[in-house]
Amino acid sequence: MKNLAEYALAQLKKAGADKASCRATKGRKDEFNIEANQFTLLRTVFTDDLQLKALVGGRKGVAIINKLDRDSIDDAVESCVALAKSAEPDEAEDIAPLIENMDFDTCSGEADMTGLFNRSKEYLQQIQDELPKIIIEGFSSSYSSGETAYVNSNGVCFTSKNDYYNFNSMFVGKDGEKSSSFNHGGAYLKDVSQPFINAGMHRQLLEEAQKSIHTRLVEGKFTGKIIVTPACNDVIWDTLMHNFLGDRSMVEGTSRWKDSLGQAVADKKLTLRAAPHNPLIVADPRFTADGFLAEDVDFISKGVLKSFALSLYGANKTGKPHSPTSNYNIEVATGETPLAEMLKGVEKGILLNRFSGGSPGASGDISGVAKNSFLIENGTVTDALQETMISFNIIDTLKNINSISKESVSDGVTILPWCCLDGVTIS
Amino acid sequence: MLQDFLTPQKQNFCDHTELRAQINKNRRVTMLAGNMVANTQSEKGGVSARVYRGGTYGFASGAEYTPESVKSVLAAATENAVFMDTNIKKGEPPLPSLKGAPEKVELKSPIAEDVKQSALIDYARALDELIVKKYKKLTGRTIVADLLYKEKLLAVSDGTDSHFFQPRAMVYAFLTMETSDGVPVELFKSFSHVGRFDEAFKDPHALEEELDNLYKALCDKSEGVFANAGVRKCVMHPDLAGMLAHEAVGHTTEADLVLGGSVAGSALNKQVASELVSMTDFAHTAFGETCPLPIYVDDEGTIAEDAPLIKDGVLVGYMHNRETARHFGVKPQGNARAFEFSDEPLIRMRNTVIHPGKNKLDDLIASVDDGYYLVKTSNGQADSTGEFMFGIDLGYEIKNGKLGKAIRETTISGVAFEMLKTVDMVSDDMSWEIGGFCGKKQAMTTSMGGPALRCDINIGGR
Repeated sequence: MKNLAEYALAQLKKAGADKASCRATKGRKDEFNIEANQFTLLRTVFTDDLQLKALVGGRKGVAIINKLDRDSIDDAVESCVALAKSAEPDEAEDIAPLIENMDFDTCSGEADMTGLFNRSKEYLQQIQDELPKIIIEGFSSSYSSGETAYVNSNGVCFTSKNDYYNFNSMFVGKDGEKSSSFNHGGAYLKDVSQPFINAGMHRQLLEEAQKSIHTRLVEGKFTGKIIVTPACNDVIWDTLMHNFLGDRSMVEGTSRWKDSLGQAVADKKLTLRAAPHNPLIVADPRFTADGFLAEDVDFISKGVLKSFALSLYGANKTGKPHSPTSNYNIEVATGETPLAEMLKGVEKGILLNRFSGGSPGASGDISGVAKNSFLIENGTVTDALQETMISFNIIDTLKNINSISKESVSDGVTILPWCCLDGVTIS
Repeated sequence: MLQDFLTPQKQNFCDHTELRAQINKNRRVTMLAGNMVANTQSEKGGVSARVYRGGTYGFASGAEYTPESVKSVLAAATENAVFMDTNIKKGEPPLPSLKGAPEKVELKSPIAEDVKQSALIDYARALDELIVKKYKKLTGRTIVADLLYKEKLLAVSDGTDSHFFQPRAMVYAFLTMETSDGVPVELFKSFSHVGRFDEAFKDPHALEEELDNLYKALCDKSEGVFANAGVRKCVMHPDLAGMLAHEAVGHTTEADLVLGGSVAGSALNKQVASELVSMTDFAHTAFGETCPLPIYVDDEGTIAEDAPLIKDGVLVGYMHNRETARHFGVKPQGNARAFEFSDEPLIRMRNTVIHPGKNKLDDLIASVDDGYYLVKTSNGQADSTGEFMFGIDLGYEIKNGKLGKAIRETTISGVAFEMLKTVDMVSDDMSWEIGGFCGKKQAMTTSMGGPALRCDINIGGR
């Protein structure tokens, strides 16, 4: 891969790029599929990918192809440089500087396809034996392996070889004509030594789907607490990354935290970081899309905004510090409160396992339906909820974190605890 | 244009087999606050094979497209099919034959691959300048110019071979403004065209009237109030009806999800909506006109036909691939589609529509004493229970039959087969939407549409 990437880089320079970078990947994925509790498909996909970036007088062009032969590369190089020449100049465009080149190899060895198949069969059998009211709408289990090289005209060169197993399952509880809401779960794994059903909180989600076939409607409207479980990672943490910390909101100037660096933006119980080097992270990009070694970065530490999640471009454009990390490997630091105690502290509220709502906007207003979720009454989890709406503003609510659990769960991509938020409208 | 390296391999087919060569080309320019942050071309293509044996499939794909690579991909898919058949032992018979189907369908469509990137750049820049010049209260803006061009070549062991092109040109405008207390509020609008980018998007001033309306709505929203949470009488603008058709009913009636436990499994031939509601997943022609996303042959080689879903309030059918059609004892209607060459065909919607009715939109609004007029939606999601939710970007209070204040972003939810029974007025107009992607393991382009509806629905708020 390195030779191929270097060839493409040389061609970009030859074609007129002042600065250039190239990322080349070659991989393979083998995947078993299950639908409606039956095996349906074995799929083998060869995944080649080449991403070229050229800067000509501060003008950027990007060309992406999925072929790695010389003729295709030459054509893509020509397109990439032509794109750059047709663009508008932007002083913020740049490529990563040379700091230290590294090679990574985290491959575990040969694919254990027999093990993967047997774990998939076992998963299906365990569902049928132990959770008979669960129907698997869709399940896939896969082994992926690949090799990537990133080079740029500043002399940066990273290579990596990686492999991992993954499973994803979407399921419902079904009893006669009654269905639960669908839920989903999965994990990235380094091996298949353990049953899939035991990964993270997967078994719990399956059991809860079975318990939530019959639901209860909460009458009226009240303000209460919600406990956001690790399975529900999008409603809070993804919104923060996209709407307040990332390039788009910062460059556009719509982030409500754009002038809050170094200031308290959340309750001091909250520490939010990118943790690509945590051993629990399996799908770990060792270097970033813009050519930096991926580092662990605290975004919020004890409630104080320490860093935005800005790429090199975002940093140059806004004048704020660059954040050389992957914005996907999110870790929320565990707190002081055992989960059982957290539950006991909720007089009336919701255990939120999944959120189905409108895309949160720049205001931070969030509203949507609590799915696969349970009512908490007087400190005890009682009935599954029927079509219950929750509404809150994330900026306000983060200042009002009631507690964060001592326990956390990793799915190989994120590491998250349970988080209890107060002041949520429930209707 | 793709050369046909597939047909010669038909002599090597042993089981039910689909061979598909495909290229997806995408061009995109993004202007973020006046900065050209994306100027990208991508081209992803290759060949895939899917082989059915004994009740399971083997699938393989590769990026190289040559006679030799087609042969090796076919061999890999066959090997996977043999593995599954040997180890799963379902023992199902071969899929029923599509007797009488045409041997091949070739579709001519505007060739969009020679559109220059500068067409997108010039347009995005000019549109950005227009917006900056005209709409003074904005605090943020993003313009996206996008072209997706697909070419597919299909050869099947049984059914109809096909070769078609599908270009889709899009412009998205995202506008941001602040409320009086400094909270940002946003609205976006997508503009779409099936065909070349430079055919539809020449002069940004052609969008001016719609952008004026968007800006006015954003000004209204910046002074908006939070909705009063609870079940309310609402009028849904036609732009929402498509989302309702797609999310609330469409997904629950995909036969793979029916087999996976969807509530529609026990609702066939039952009243699931008011008698005013009829709904169809159209193949290529609706109400005498070509649909925004015409599908003539699907990726299993089935000739596409309309799939009626609800007729006068009664659930009358599901959407199928060939395997689920056999399971339910019906004829497949061409809903099996794959997005990229490396994707296997799944049951997907095409042009999913609630049929127009007889009322006027103004009469729907005038008939509500205390409720909401819901105008724009950002996203939606369905559930196996029939529960659905839409994000609402723009809406207005209705007081005594007249529009009142705008509302801030919120979410509506309901149970499709209960909410549709509350529909008591349906407008005689309709709108189409083809701007987004449907997510179901793979992304997929779909189109949706419908009229304005008056109904009861749960709305989030304070």
